Formats: sequence, structure tokens, C-alpha cells
Amino acid sequence: MNISYNWLKEYIDIKVSPQKLIDVMTFGGIEIEAVEEIGKELRQFQVAEITETKPHPNADKLTLCKVNNGEEEIQVVCGAPNCLAGKKVVLAPIGSQLGEFKIKRVKLGGEESQGMLCSEKEIGISENHEGIMILPDSAKIGKDLATQLGLNDVRYEAEITPNRPDLLGIIGIARDLSALLNTPIHLPKADPTPDNNSIEKILTLENNDAKRCPRYVARVIKGVKIASSPAWLQKRLRSIGMRPINNVVDITNFVMMEYGHPLHAFDYDKVAGKKIIVRRAQKKESFTALDENNYQLCEDDLVIADTEKAMALAGIIGGTTSHITTETSNIVLEAANFHYAGIRRTGSRYKIFTDSAYRFERNLSSTTCELVSKRAADLILDIAGGKMASGSLDSYPAPQPATIVKLRPSRVYKLLTIQINKEQIKKYLEALGLRQIASEEDRLDFEIPDYRNDLTREIDLIEEIIRLHGYNNVKTFHKPQNIMDRYRFNALRRVQDIAVNNGFFEIINWSFGDPDDLDRLQLPKDDPRCRIVPIKNPLGYSFSIMRSTLIPQLLKTALYNINHNHFDLKLFEMNKVFFSQEDSKLAKEEQHFSALLCGSALHKSWYQKSRQVDFYDAKGLAEEILNSLGITQPEWKKSEDSYYQPGQAASIFLQSKKIGAIGKLDAKIAEKFELEIPIFLVEINLEKILNIYRPQPPQFQTIPKFPVVQRDISIILSSHYSWEDLKREILQIDSKNIKEINLFDEYKGKNIENGKRSLSFTITLSSLTKTLTDQYVNNLIKKIILRLENKFSAQMR
Amino acid sequence: MDTELQEIVDKAINEIGKATGEHQLNLLKSKYLGKKSTLNSLMKKIGSLPEEERPQFGQKVNKAKNQIEKSLTLQTEKIKEKKYEAAVSKDALDITMPGRSHCYGSLHPITKVWRELEDIFMSLGFEIAEGNDIEDEFHNFDALNTPPDHPARELSDTFYIKDDVLLRTQTSTVQVRVMQNYKPPFKIISPGRCYRNDNDASHSPAFHQVEALVVDMGITFADLRDILNIFVKKMFGSQIESRIRPHFFPFTEPSAEIDILCVNCEGKGCRICKNSGWLEMGGAGMVDPNVFDQVGIDSEKYTGYAFGLGIDRISMLKYNIPDMRLLFENDIRFLQQFK
Repeated sequence: MNISYNWLKEYIDIKVSPQKLIDVMTFGGIEIEAVEEIGKELRQFQVAEITETKPHPNADKLTLCKVNNGEEEIQVVCGAPNCLAGKKVVLAPIGSQLGEFKIKRVKLGGEESQGMLCSEKEIGISENHEGIMILPDSAKIGKDLATQLGLNDVRYEAEITPNRPDLLGIIGIARDLSALLNTPIHLPKADPTPDNNSIEKILTLENNDAKRCPRYVARVIKGVKIASSPAWLQKRLRSIGMRPINNVVDITNFVMMEYGHPLHAFDYDKVAGKKIIVRRAQKKESFTALDENNYQLCEDDLVIADTEKAMALAGIIGGTTSHITTETSNIVLEAANFHYAGIRRTGSRYKIFTDSAYRFERNLSSTTCELVSKRAADLILDIAGGKMASGSLDSYPAPQPATIVKLRPSRVYKLLTIQINKEQIKKYLEALGLRQIASEEDRLDFEIPDYRNDLTREIDLIEEIIRLHGYNNVKTFHKPQNIMDRYRFNALRRVQDIAVNNGFFEIINWSFGDPDDLDRLQLPKDDPRCRIVPIKNPLGYSFSIMRSTLIPQLLKTALYNINHNHFDLKLFEMNKVFFSQEDSKLAKEEQHFSALLCGSALHKSWYQKSRQVDFYDAKGLAEEILNSLGITQPEWKKSEDSYYQPGQAASIFLQSKKIGAIGKLDAKIAEKFELEIPIFLVEINLEKILNIYRPQPPQFQTIPKFPVVQRDISIILSSHYSWEDLKREILQIDSKNIKEINLFDEYKGKNIENGKRSLSFTITLSSLTKTLTDQYVNNLIKKIILRLENKFSAQMR
Repeated sequence: MDTELQEIVDKAINEIGKATGEHQLNLLKSKYLGKKSTLNSLMKKIGSLPEEERPQFGQKVNKAKNQIEKSLTLQTEKIKEKKYEAAVSKDALDITMPGRSHCYGSLHPITKVWRELEDIFMSLGFEIAEGNDIEDEFHNFDALNTPPDHPARELSDTFYIKDDVLLRTQTSTVQVRVMQNYKPPFKIISPGRCYRNDNDASHSPAFHQVEALVVDMGITFADLRDILNIFVKKMFGSQIESRIRPHFFPFTEPSAEIDILCVNCEGKGCRICKNSGWLEMGGAGMVDPNVFDQVGIDSEKYTGYAFGLGIDRISMLKYNIPDMRLLFENDIRFLQQFK
């Protein structure tokens, strides 16, 4: 539904700007999908006066005009026959744009032209190109053309919800705005003067289907003059995107857009038998519509016919046999109502989508027929002349009774929790055209206006009240409580889940620790884990401190199970550890994760060989857990923890803070815990991670369009260099295109010199912007090899 | 002529039908349809025939050709199909052998129930609050309306760190901290570890509880009754009824103990419920106005309820674990049962 700001102003006094009106409509339930400024393109043209003309010295058909544009007098060369001195004309000044064509200072036949005088066609307001556009003498020189012609307007494209057919007319919108802006509405006059001839003498009406056509109002106007519509009417239609045709058709369209109720006009002289018959179509009845298609109708279709033929597909489209032409002088004006379901069936059967069908499909009011009939007749008499026969033919077998809806104010408070009294309720609803007809203690009865047939229940009225009161004026009572740290909650669960998915079993130990365990781990006195919290009345000495590490109990649990002949263990505990604090009587409590691995990593099976756990199993778990917390690039440094075997342990750092460790339990320490098999441990201080690091959600990256290239490289180099050293060096060469370096083999031993090792890896390359050529890739690989040879004395294998 | 053609066709179809490989078929194709084939030489004769016999002759030879071609196509497909079937039958596996599996571990049964409780209460709109295990006497006792001379404060029941610092004996401490640090309304649960100096088959010195606290305007005893009922049915099943009995807790008034229908016998009476048909589940009540006063909440404006449930106990009921000590022994044969 298109709405014009200026058109709206015909009915209500709008004091808000076109921009502000968008908000008023949006929050009143009329969703505005697009806004267009009309007349914008005409603002570049100026009203100017031709002050003097003389023939062009070098061209017969051209005239030299002196033109006053309000600021100065300029010379314009013009080819139109009607450029006469003293006329007010339209000037396209230098720099203005006429379609594709930009006006420049040019010489025509040796004479300078400082602009162009335009025809109506050239500025796009009509097809008229007979000469330049002549403006009335009253036009003000220097004014922009849009203002001069009164064409500045704003067009809104509104999405009307299906329950509100009344909003499919400008007056419907104005009614809502009148309530929303609290300003009165003025409806246009609809009071045509009839002559002495009664319509009954010249036309008869037969309605054979009162269900499908609940009302049919016909009027006859004789002696109209079909012509172009006056400018104001054309302007209104154009302002909502409709094309003017002729005065009578334009008036029916105008009234449809005004009241949202479609009308139709027939050529009276082509109505056979001077009789309008509303009936079902015959099977395969042929009908040629105004869209120039011929339709084979069926018995479910409703037609408006005369005694010989179908003249219109009722409520959807007119036919070619009786429509208004330039020869028409007598007309029958139809204002009817058709049942929405039938309109929808017929419309979709023949795929005919007209403004008329769109409206009837939404269940219109029968009451409005009378009003729009009078309004259209009035306009026709004014604009197209003629004389209207007195009276109308009106088939309205079952008049629509007024709907009464009861409203309990208590129910309004209950549902909306807004404090408004009966008077305010009444004010809101009466602004929408409802009439209060009775009132009791907790009850108001309202009569619903005919055009609001969507209002049938109490709850519908409550909706109207809150719509006018303002949805956002409803108080809120609750604010979100942020007691829970959802990120932390999910992160902790995720850590447990990753361990479980990697084959680990969760254990739960008491929080009590044995002070001697800290000595068994040979922790230096300044280790934070030695800042213990002792219990005054413990269960016994070996339960006499709050634990500061999960490791001792993990080791004891392993021992317990090993003693029961279970050697293949993957265990973890995620729980609190405690440290005393100098500045608080309470302890520092931290959530830690620790895991233990021993025995075989893979079970012996028909598809795999058994393998003992090693350092890299521990590292894999740590990596996965850190990864799940968004940490993809932690730093791995050689561990200095006392209880790990040197050379098989690492500390994990994030932002230069230690967040964990992995490694093999030193044999000497293991002995103290009576453990005789290799034990690997993973320790992660979750508290530290959660305190310093909260990853952002991953952001989508464009998926590369170009294929990846992979190359394998094998080199022998001193064991002194780490994989990380190597990787960093390679990445430096082309960090943009090298996507991944995947180590797939490490080999020491036979055929490899002592102290050296062979490493084999795949380099994956891809570019976001191009396909990497063989030449490029070969050069890059050469470069990489050269760098590895120079930096690490690496040999290619 | 007709019989000659028919013989060629019959012979060709016969030989094609016996072919077993693609190569063989190619040979037969050139033998019967190739440049040197009988049919081809017959076709060449067409020029020597009278004009009017030519179309008919041509048609007959073409028909013979078509018959042979069709037979070739059919046989090609047959051979392909056979080849496919042979390949499939060769690839057949013993589908009863075990699949390559990734070995999963498991969460501890306490954690499983802990999470289930969190999930149920979160679905009912509760937030989860965390608190310290080591608390001071104020948050564990004073603020919870437990005066200094209360028997619960005996050294034999409570582990002390310092004179006024202890291991919390209940998760209600979190309630107090939340009420001190935030403004109502509250709808929280706080699961966590508590400590009491007790150690036998049904008591552990470290155990797990979940505490719930709801404070708002207009919270009533009926709301408490509702939430308990909803929780019990969500946790144990719709057939499990709950009831509350008057009891005493210093921090609630009125106070109640919560029973649920025995999950084992559903009320008939069994060993687990000691033939009573009911199991004790925890404590509940309306927050005592004194507690609100301690944390500066207007007890005229706000009301609330609180309740506490034993996570370990629910876990034992749910998994039919007879002895609490099993929960903390961490025997791998025990842990593996909760995959």
C-alpha cells in the first residue's frame, strides 16, 4: 500500500515531519518498508522568464533567447516554436541532469547556450513534446520546479497486515493517524446532486447470489465528458504510483485508494437490456478482460452481466465489452461488496492480481458501498460533468448489523499492567471511531464502526488500547540478573566433556590433603602449592590440609587401581584446590584440571596394535582442552617442575603466565608413591585461563575459491633443533599462503647419524586471490629448502 | 536369402551368448558386423540388385544387423553385471566383527547428577551461583540465624580452619553472599561441596549439595510446594510424588523436610526405604525474616523460599549405589559402569 504524505494532509492536520511520521506509523502498527521523496528530480529545474528573443544568425530553426533565471540574464538557444518573449518557462541550468544527458555550456551554431528550455516530456512529467513547457504567468521566477508545481511529496510503502483491510485506503490510514496523533479527521464531501429522472426508469438490477455479493449499489450518470483528469487528480494518483487514464476511470481509482473500497464504471449504452445481473458464470463462458486475455470461466466464478453477456469478473477485473472509452457519455457506477473467499478462488484460478481483488479478498465492509458510490458520483459530476439519475439501485438483502463488544476495564489492567482509567480507555477507542453505548461498574459496551470488522472480541479492543497507548510505554519490572557466569559454566563443562571424549574417567576425591605428599613431590618451599590451609580438627594427619594440588590423590587412585591389576588408566579430576592468602582470612580457591595416563594407549585389537602411553598422549589431551577454550597457540616451554622427568615435560604458557604443565612423572618421585610403571600427567589451572582469556566467537572467513596445493618435504637435521623452530622459520617465508605444516614422520636410528633425526612434513598452500602456479610453488619450496639448509644445516632426503 | 540371413543371425546370437569377457565380445562384433563380415559383403551386393528390390533387401540386412547389435548389448550388460556381482561378493565382510571404536571415558556419577540438577533448574529459569568452600562463621551460621550457642556449631560437627573460619557445612552460604551482593529478585541454585565431620556408609566428610533460593515480591509457600513437585517429577519421573513435613531449620520459617515416594518400590515398602515407602530428600522452607534482616532485604516487601538437596544421595538412589564410600574410592571398575 502506497501512502502520500500530501494526500494524507487532505484529511488530517499533520504537524510532524514526513520523517517523524514514519515512527508514528511504525509504532502504531503500520510497518513502513520504503520511503521515497517525490519531486526530488524536478528540484534542479528553475522557473525562468524569456525576456527577449531573436532569430539565430546561422540556423533557421533555432532561436536565441535572453532568459531571466531570477539571478541574472543568460542566453539560451532554443529550437521550440513556442519560445516567446514574456513567457514563463522551465530552465534546465548548467549542471542539471536530463536522464542520461548532462547540461553543459555549449555553442550551437556558434552561439553560446547557457542551459536548456525544456518540454514536459524532457523533464519527465508527461508525454507532451510539442514545444517547451509554458508555466502560468503567476509562476515565480527562480523558484524550483517541484515547488512551483506543488510536486514535493513523500511516498511511503506500507506493509498492511491482513487483519486491517481498512488501512488499504488513505482515509483508513488517516483515521489511525488521527487517533495516534490526537487530531481530528475531515472526510471529503460525498453529496452528488441528482436530477429529476429516477434511476428505476432507466436501469434494473438483479442480484442472483446474495452470499457472494452481499451488496450492490448502482448509479447512472448521463452526459459525462471523458477527458484527461485535472492536474490535482493526476498528481494524487501519481503520488502513489498509479498511472492516470481518463477522468471517470481515474475517479474510480482515486476513490478506491481514498476509501480502500474498489468501484467500477460501465458504459451505460453498452449494457444490453439496460439490466445489471449479478450471477454465477456459465460453464466455459467466455470472457475477455481488460488485460486483453480471454478466460473460459466456470460455475464458481461470479460475474456482473447484462442480459446478453458477462461485463466484468465481479470484484476482480472489467471486460472489454462495456468499459469506459473516449466515446462513452453515459455511465453506470458500481459500488459493491463481494465475498472474500470467492474473490480469492477466482483470482488465483486465473492468476489475476488487481488492486480491486487484493482489497475484496480481505473482507470489506458492505456499509461503505453507499458512501463510496456517492463520493465517486460527486467527483464525476464535478469533473466530467453530466447529470445523475436520482436514487440508486441497491441490493442489500441482509444488512450488516453493527457489532457490539463488551470490555471489562479490569481485564485491561490485568493483561497490560498499565494504569489507565475508564475515561482514557473511552478516549482511545472513540478516537478510532468506536462508540461507547453503555457503561456499568466494570463494563463498557462499544459499537464497532463498519470498516473495523477485525474488532469482534474484548481482546481485540485491548490490543487497540495498547497500540494507542504505545507498546513501549508498558513498564518493565525485571532486569537481567548476572549472578551466573555462563561462559565459565560452559567452559568447565566443556573441559570435562573433552576429557571424557578422549577416554578419560572422572574421579572425585575429598578436598583433604596429606602434608607429606607435598614433600614427596619435592616442591620447593616457595612453590605456591606450599601455601597450605591446615584444618584445625582434621580426620587425621593424612587429611589435615586442604589440598593445593590434585596430583597426589590422582597418583594414589592410580596405585589403588594398579594394585587391583588395572594398569591401563586414563583418569582425571576437575575440582577446587586451596591456597592460604595473606590479605584475607579466607582461602584462595581455584578450579584445576589434572589427568593421569598409564599403561597402554591403544587396546590390542584386530585392527590396531597396542601401544604404551607417552608424552604426546598427554600433550594431545592438553592441546584439545586448551583448543576447546579458544587457545590455539599456547607456548610450550621446558618444564622446571620438580616432579617431572627432565626432557619429557613441558610448562604451558599463555600471555606469559604459566597455565599448566604436562609430562612424565620422574621415576624417583613415582617410587615415593609406590608406582612402578611410567605415569604421565596433565595439569591445567582453569582459573588462570578463565581470568585472563575469554575468546571472541569465531568470525566467518571467506572460503577460498582457489584450490590448495600440498608438497611433502623430508629433511635430516640435528636433534638440537625443535619442530617449533623449524615451523616458525618456514612460516616466515610466506605466512600468507602457507596454511598448514603437518609433521607426518619423525625418524631416528638406522641410516641416520647419531644426534640427528629425519623429519617429514606436508606443506599446504593456498591463496585467497589466485590459483598458485606450479612455478610459484616450486620456487617457494626451493626457497624453503635453501632456508632450512642455511639455518639448520639440514640435508634433503 | 532369408534363410541365409537367419542362419547368420542365429549363429551370431549363439556365439555371443557364450562369450564371457569384453575382449571376446569385441572379436565377435568385428566378426559379424565388421568390414569383413558376411553381412557387410551382402550389403555391398545391393548395388547389383534391381532398383525395386533394393529397399527390401536393405531393410532385411539392417534388421539382421540390429538383432546382432541388440544381442551384443545385452551380453555386454550381462558380463558387467556378473563382474560387479563377483566384486561385491569378494568384498563381503564379517559384519559381526567389532567396529573400530574410539574409547570414551565417563563422568563420575556425582557429576552426572550434578549436571542433571543444573539442567532441570536452568530450564525452570534458575541461575547458577558459585561460592567458596572455606567460609567464615558469619556466612555459615550468623547470617543464617544460627546463634553462637547452637549445637550445629559444635567442633565435632564442623571442620575449622581458624576460630571464625570453617569448611562450609551447607551451600546456604552462597545464598547469603548473593543476597549481600545483588538486589532481588533472585532465582538461583548453588551446587557445591560441603563438609561435616562424619564418616560412614551413609555419610562422607566431604559431600555435595544443591541449594535453591527464590526471592521476589509475592513468593509463597505454594510456589515452594510447586517447584519441589516439578523438580521431583522431572528428576525421578512423573509417578514419583513428593510431600513435605514440618521440621526445624534456623534459617527458614515455616520449615519442612521433603520426602519423595521411594524410587525403588514406588511406595510399597522395600529395603531402601526401610519399608516406609518414602525417602527423605532434603530440607526446605520460607526464608526467615531474620535472614533477610541480616543481609538488608526488606522482609515486608520481599518473601522467598529456599531448599537444599543432597546430590550424592540422589546419585546413590538413581544408580542404586548401596554405600557412599564407593563414590570416593574411584575404583575403575566402579567408574566404568557410568559410561
